[in-house]
Amino acid sequence: MRAIIFSWEYPPRIIGNLAEYVSALAAHLVKNSVETHVVTYHDSLTGATQEANGVKTVRVANPVQTHISLLTWALTLNQEVERAAVNIHYQAGKYVDLIDVYDWHFIPAAVTLKHALGIPFVYSVDSLEDHRSPGTNLPFNMAIRGIEWLGFYEAKKVTAKSEWMQNEIIRLYKVPKEKIKIITPNTNNWVKNVLEAYKTAATGGSACK
Amino acid sequence: MKRPLNVMMLSWEYPPRVIGGISPHVFFLSKSLAKNGVKVHVVTCDFPDAPAHEVIDGVEVYRIDSYKNPSPDFATWVYLMNLNMQKEAAAIAAKLPDEIDVFHAHDWLVATAGIGLKHVFRKPLLVTMHSTEIGRRDGLHTTTEKMINETEAWLTYEAWRVVCCSDYMMQHVKWAFGLPNDKLVMVPNGVNPHVYDGLEKQDLTAFRRTFALPEEKIILYVGRLVYEKGIHILINAVPKVLEKVNAKFVIVGSGYMKEQLSNIVKSMGLEHKVLFTGFVEEENLPKLQKCADVSVVPSLFEPFGIVALEAMAAKSPIVVSDTGGLSEIVDHDQSGIKAYPNNADSLAWGITKILLDENFRNRVRENAYKKILEKYDWNKIAQQTRHVYEGILGEYSKSFWA
Repeated sequence: MRAIIFSWEYPPRIIGNLAEYVSALAAHLVKNSVETHVVTYHDSLTGATQEANGVKTVRVANPVQTHISLLTWALTLNQEVERAAVNIHYQAGKYVDLIDVYDWHFIPAAVTLKHALGIPFVYSVDSLEDHRSPGTNLPFNMAIRGIEWLGFYEAKKVTAKSEWMQNEIIRLYKVPKEKIKIITPNTNNWVKNVLEAYKTAATGGSACK
Repeated sequence: MKRPLNVMMLSWEYPPRVIGGISPHVFFLSKSLAKNGVKVHVVTCDFPDAPAHEVIDGVEVYRIDSYKNPSPDFATWVYLMNLNMQKEAAAIAAKLPDEIDVFHAHDWLVATAGIGLKHVFRKPLLVTMHSTEIGRRDGLHTTTEKMINETEAWLTYEAWRVVCCSDYMMQHVKWAFGLPNDKLVMVPNGVNPHVYDGLEKQDLTAFRRTFALPEEKIILYVGRLVYEKGIHILINAVPKVLEKVNAKFVIVGSGYMKEQLSNIVKSMGLEHKVLFTGFVEEENLPKLQKCADVSVVPSLFEPFGIVALEAMAAKSPIVVSDTGGLSEIVDHDQSGIKAYPNNADSLAWGITKILLDENFRNRVRENAYKKILEKYDWNKIAQQTRHVYEGILGEYSKSFWA
């Protein structure tokens, strides 16, 4: 199985808990015979590398350096994330089983890749805009919620880290319960559950072109 | 190539959605390309009551959800709209029986969609730069302007070729983004003179009277009321012209300078001589252009100057400022008058000369019309554009993407 993980933070760039989580998961996936690519953002350490643990990473920078908000930054950066994923796809003989997207930032790239090349994606929810910016209804927050909605709508499978989050996703975005898999990190079944989610996503859809 | 060339054109506006010059440009270019054996798929923003998919004169037109939630600001909306455009265009292209050969993007307004489609399908991207942020704003003063400028630079970087509509724009774009000469190609903008054909025999007296008194000459301005268009220079020329000629200034268009301009007119006590019409209905604009005794294009920055071409096609004599694409369109004293840019006296002189000298007026008008038919014909422009596509594909076929 060949999987690409999209995460806006990854060591050495650590913002919250996501970087360490994705890094540990990627290492486990490699041990379970998944060819694992991580596409992430870094301003200066750009390019492809292979880590000692077997994880392949591509770090991209934003071609547009001046921004008015996190939103314009993310929306432009998506093109480079998309380009990195496309390069993996073409270099691997046009076959990628799935993309695993962490949070909203790189949902746009995953959606285009799905429609253009038929690569399905898993939307792995770490947090939601409603919890990050509670009670705000500014166009800025609505746009991010719109991207989250798009992710839920277009994803083959959604993963949540707790039952509470699963319920929140259902409450806020009306996602069918069957579409969401609860994956509790660092438990015995953690990686097994991730692999199961990947398998449903990869085989459930039509094969890649 | 056995099957026809297959092109996907991205534009944020296409009729009935008309905001600026890109909409008519893409409309006529795509339709003329279709006549020249190119299959064109236009992907554009939706518009109330316009269908999501239709075929217009052989052109496939797709209108996408243009992101209608409230947006923090215009630039953010552009990127959000591009997200939808890219998603929908990717789905359309993937389902077509034949691959798209070239993606053709018009301006930064479709930058991220164009760049994305190029990479996911690994096909060449052609970009037409109709304007630039640094030119529009006469420098980069705000974060938004810098962001747009960088997006434009990125788009031209990703392009296989960059099309500009005038020699002036070629130089400007080369300077603005540091592009090599061989990446740039000049294809002029066009105009459709047939819009005015039917009006030749029509009696427009009653229509004219809704804008001006019979004894008043009509001095027409068509364009956005923004700094770069130099409309404030025309307003400053109003009293200078009125000293010599009885005229009505008809100002068509809207923009952020509107209130400021009408205040100036009020303070001069000339409200009865200057008419701000706002936007004019699509079918009325050609009539108004036909009625105009002189059309004025006083721009400070003008990549091309389509309004000047329209006036020439309508056989309305023109006064333009000697700048940008306008300098190339008009031959001074032959097909119009070129005034010094940013100079109300020079502009007033040009307007007065045309209005007072009938022989000169008629000569200029005929020469201008001849030039339109010779140089700015859409069929010729489509053939030149097709040639650009074929050139790109020849190079592409030798690349590792092919």
